[in-house]
Amino acid sequence: MSNTLKKVFRNSTYFLCALFLLNGCSPGTNKNKADEGKVETSGTVDTVVIAQMQFTPAELNVRTGDTVIWINKDLIDHDITSDKKNSFYSDTLHVGKAWKMVVKDSAGYHCSIHPTMQGRLILK
Amino acid sequence: MKIINTLTKTAICLVISTGLLSLPSSAQKSQKLTDPEIASVAVTANQIDIDYAKIAIKKTKNADVKKFAETMAKDHQAVINQAVALATKLGVTPKDNTTTKTFLAGSVKTKAMLNSKTGNAFNKAYVDNEVAYHKAAINEVENVLIPDATNGELKALLQSALPLFKGHLAHAEMIQKQFSK
Repeated sequence: MSNTLKKVFRNSTYFLCALFLLNGCSPGTNKNKADEGKVETSGTVDTVVIAQMQFTPAELNVRTGDTVIWINKDLIDHDITSDKKNSFYSDTLHVGKAWKMVVKDSAGYHCSIHPTMQGRLILK
Repeated sequence: MKIINTLTKTAICLVISTGLLSLPSSAQKSQKLTDPEIASVAVTANQIDIDYAKIAIKKTKNADVKKFAETMAKDHQAVINQAVALATKLGVTPKDNTTTKTFLAGSVKTKAMLNSKTGNAFNKAYVDNEVAYHKAAINEVENVLIPDATNGELKALLQSALPLFKGHLAHAEMIQKQFSK
């Protein structure tokens, strides 16, 4: 393989990996009812890090239409489950994975696998 | 792969060939543990809680207890996997030691006790033991394993596992309340 071909192949691989990672940050369209309906998506993006058995920040001030991304940087799998029944659920969020949701309302949430882990989205 | 096999064999052999001693305590400790010994303790302690969880999954009909036990099995396996991966990376072969033997000896008694109970008595015994076991494990990690670890990555893994064990303890205490009424 020539150097040019190798370069093209390598760049394509990087691009595909980037696409894959972006796609891996699932919007949770199947189970996230907060994403359904007419939801503004032009808000800001906030991140909640899951590490050491905690959501950080545990309380997040948000506006309707903001996107919140949870990133699992812990040793083990977690999930994001709304305290209000059937409101939103991330499904199991494996180590190193992320899940995002567009905010519709204030909400308390927890990890259903480790129920002592709790967080809250508070509308400004 | 050789190290993974060694770890697994070490854990299995020690589970089978146990003495009858109590849970370890930092007060009983006379010598500093080496990193290979710490790796052995870490794998063994996690494996013991998986063994307890397997008994609970098989015996309990309580949904909260079953879910908790399933979480214990999964989480502690994840910690073992990471400990094995790190040991492999560092070229550390886990080494059997007094602390490992003590943990295993205690587990033999506990497994016999759990296997002798049924129904709600089993649920209470399992959850009570989870509270006590996680307290003992947290004490060991905080006061012995982390201070004794010389390798930075091993120390960091132990430090990052500590909040997990504390979370498990809080979860067990939460379930324990339904059996203390």
